[in-house]
Amino acid sequence: MNHAEDAAERAVQLTLRFGASDCDVLASSATRISSEIERGSVKQTDSVSDHGVGIRAFVNGSVGFAYCNSFQHRSVDRAAGRAVAMARAGTPDPAFKGLPSVSEPSKVSGLFDPEVAKLQPDEVVRMSMELAEVAADDKRVYSVNASVSAGQGEAFLANSNGFRGFQRMSQFGATCEAVAKSGSEMFSGYELTTSRKMERHSLDGIGLTARQYALKGLSHVTIDTGDLPVVIDPLALGFILATAIGRGADAEAVQRNRSFLAGRMGRKIGVDTLTIRDDPTLKWCTGSYSFDGEGVPARRKVIIDAGKLRSYLYDSYTAAKDSVMSTGNSLRGHALWTYRQPPTISSSNLVIRQGDCAPDEMISETKNGIYLRTTFDYPNLATGEFSGLMMESYRIEKGELGPSIRQATMGIDIVDLLSRIDLIGRDARYAWGVMAPPVRISRARIGGTD
Amino acid sequence: MEDLSEFAIDRARHMGAEYADLRMEMATGTTITVMDGRTKNMISPEESGCGIRVFRKGAWGFSVTNALTKTALRSAVDSAVRMAKVAERKVKVLFSIGEQKPVRKVESYPCKEPPGEVRADEKLSFALSLDDSMKSHDPRITSTNVRYDDFEGQRVIANSFGSCVVTHEVWTFASCVAWAKSQGVVQQGHDSLGAVSGFELARQASSQGLGDRAASQAVRLLASSPAPAGTFTCVLDNRMTGLLAHEAMGHACEADLVLAGSSVLEGRQGELVADESISLYDDPTVKGSFGYFSYDWEGVKARKHTLIDHGVLKEFMHNLESGSRMGIASNGAARAETYSDRPVVRMSNTYIGGGDRRKDELIGDLKNGLLIMGGQYGYVEPAKGQFMFKCDEAYEIRRGEIGKRYRDVSLSGLILDVLKNVVAVGDDVVLGDAGLCGKADQSARTTDGGPHICVSGIVVGGLA
Repeated sequence: MNHAEDAAERAVQLTLRFGASDCDVLASSATRISSEIERGSVKQTDSVSDHGVGIRAFVNGSVGFAYCNSFQHRSVDRAAGRAVAMARAGTPDPAFKGLPSVSEPSKVSGLFDPEVAKLQPDEVVRMSMELAEVAADDKRVYSVNASVSAGQGEAFLANSNGFRGFQRMSQFGATCEAVAKSGSEMFSGYELTTSRKMERHSLDGIGLTARQYALKGLSHVTIDTGDLPVVIDPLALGFILATAIGRGADAEAVQRNRSFLAGRMGRKIGVDTLTIRDDPTLKWCTGSYSFDGEGVPARRKVIIDAGKLRSYLYDSYTAAKDSVMSTGNSLRGHALWTYRQPPTISSSNLVIRQGDCAPDEMISETKNGIYLRTTFDYPNLATGEFSGLMMESYRIEKGELGPSIRQATMGIDIVDLLSRIDLIGRDARYAWGVMAPPVRISRARIGGTD
Repeated sequence: MEDLSEFAIDRARHMGAEYADLRMEMATGTTITVMDGRTKNMISPEESGCGIRVFRKGAWGFSVTNALTKTALRSAVDSAVRMAKVAERKVKVLFSIGEQKPVRKVESYPCKEPPGEVRADEKLSFALSLDDSMKSHDPRITSTNVRYDDFEGQRVIANSFGSCVVTHEVWTFASCVAWAKSQGVVQQGHDSLGAVSGFELARQASSQGLGDRAASQAVRLLASSPAPAGTFTCVLDNRMTGLLAHEAMGHACEADLVLAGSSVLEGRQGELVADESISLYDDPTVKGSFGYFSYDWEGVKARKHTLIDHGVLKEFMHNLESGSRMGIASNGAARAETYSDRPVVRMSNTYIGGGDRRKDELIGDLKNGLLIMGGQYGYVEPAKGQFMFKCDEAYEIRRGEIGKRYRDVSLSGLILDVLKNVVAVGDDVVLGDAGLCGKADQSARTTDGGPHICVSGIVVGGLA
């Protein structure tokens, strides 16, 4: 028995002995090395390791959670005592029907890449430098900031029903920001990747994309207020849908009437060609796992099927309330699990079914519109309305991608957005926990400056 | 912890660090989440650890350990030195860290009722009373959420210049969200309050009114329509002025972004970047505020920063590195969320100074525009020169009169233009919107504020 397993077993026994009716314990550890480039020069190399135990105790349905960042018995014992004391202090909850019973974790490949685990700091530094050099390869590029990180983690989960599960996970990530200047004009291009697999070959592409967008954005226009078609890049679509669907379909938000998706089960909320599923079994994706944060086996589920809402995302508590099975969406962090927080409902990897439209075709088919590459806004989940800055967007005129647009916004109801999709791309990419193709929507309200 | 700090810093120097510093912490806290009158989670964290940073020839190595023992610290120091040596081999920009006068200080943040001495059930009673105040506010309130957080920690900051600052940090935070439903429409309202203080925050009159304010906003918004899209002259309330100050200018004034070539304000010190009626400050020394600190996370004494003085860009916020590279002393703006994060340049309490116009004059003078109220969140890309900030609600202004109510909406502007477009500045400065600011995967407790101001050329991301 290793330290994590020993700490988890001890915590389960003690938490029950202290008076909890049910409990689960995550003992996890993670290490990460990273290299950061600032203005083309190595700025920092980090080596961070962390381990600890998170204990969730139930007393009359009330939840207490405590953690300590140690596997030592004294710390674990204290945390078990605090978890039970907190549960006792809380209010009873008759809706709690117990933790999941023992199930065999799903067989999911691509959770751990030994190549990531083997990476040494000097290699990570070298990769970040190479990435930055690609991005800087134009005299108009004024500054390049980049990072490469490699992490690995182990998670041992135990609960009072006898579930015991272990999974090893890895994460490889890179980001690049290229800043271009020409006269008084300045613009930045950004690109990133995240995977459980080491993707050295993708680094050149990240530097190249960041550079290309930085240069492309130097020429810019403003735009009139009006209604226009918008081609939404997977980067922007992923960011919007991670919240709109990932959090909007959270059964807790639905049951409490806090989500715009409440009361819409079985109803049409998108075009017939739209299918969105949640899939924790996707190989190498950072949201994948073999069992969720409560020990429920990972499984695929369709959230939106041919435009109709088919499922919400459940943990064991919300599933019991609706008399359904947990969908296995109780999560303890994303790529590398953490003992520091109790499990919460979340999407794992959202997958938007690809279409058949080539990227160039999507733009050439758009006579007068907008290409939205990035936004960091999210919808109001109560109303389902999205109002956000198009942080990086480009004009499409006569079927060609034109200059960047400064200071323009997009406003649209999310159900309208999903219902106005008229083209779906065939090339999907993974970002923000979403595997998304580009899509075109026939019309959104654009706020402009003219 | 001081002895262990001294041991670690000595070892780092012995191993070849040109400069080394560390942040060592032992911390506890409480988080209570109440949903619809019942506890969802009662959380009790406890952790300790140390983050060690080693500098050599223009590059940093950083390492973290959870264990506060000599063995663990020795290993962490050795790892940080190894990381610095790896980085050093590829460094293109050489610089050194300017010598600082050593600071030795033991301090405690102001606190009357240490959270650790208050029973969990008393904290829960406070959270439940907020929940009840929302529920009982109006029968249309359908769901409620209360979150209460407190934090107490002992932190040692030590460096190879001989500084050792020991801080007993404490803060408390509470937030309420209410959902209201009527005729199939669901709306939400929220409010929050935070301070560097103990549990006495819960006894303040403003805390007791937190639930009412969230609930009344949710109910108010039931009778609202989507905002129009386009460019408008806007009167911003105190919270939105604060969010504008933070997003539009605050981040672009962080010297680490300037050094990274990622701020459009690089090279503009001494230039007019705002209307002459605008002065912008960042002041961590405001006692009781959520952004308060007296020494920064590199052990440098905190002070008020005048970022813009009557329209002129005066200074950036610095840490030891940015100050050293720009040939000045750090002005105490380095912050790290926990021991396991490296310090980066951060804001604290950011606000625009007051003018001489009354709020009702700003509204009365506006022929056609919007009154924008309550801040949700914002973000900026200083290299693109664009920012956005999202309000809770908006109102039409026509011929100086407040009219139709609109829902939450995003607003956007350009860093180099927005403060030049200020039409008038109110005299009612309020520093009060406590929140968490994100940067470099870290959160920092901050407060924003200012007076009502009137700004032209704001792009509104409406749906209508």
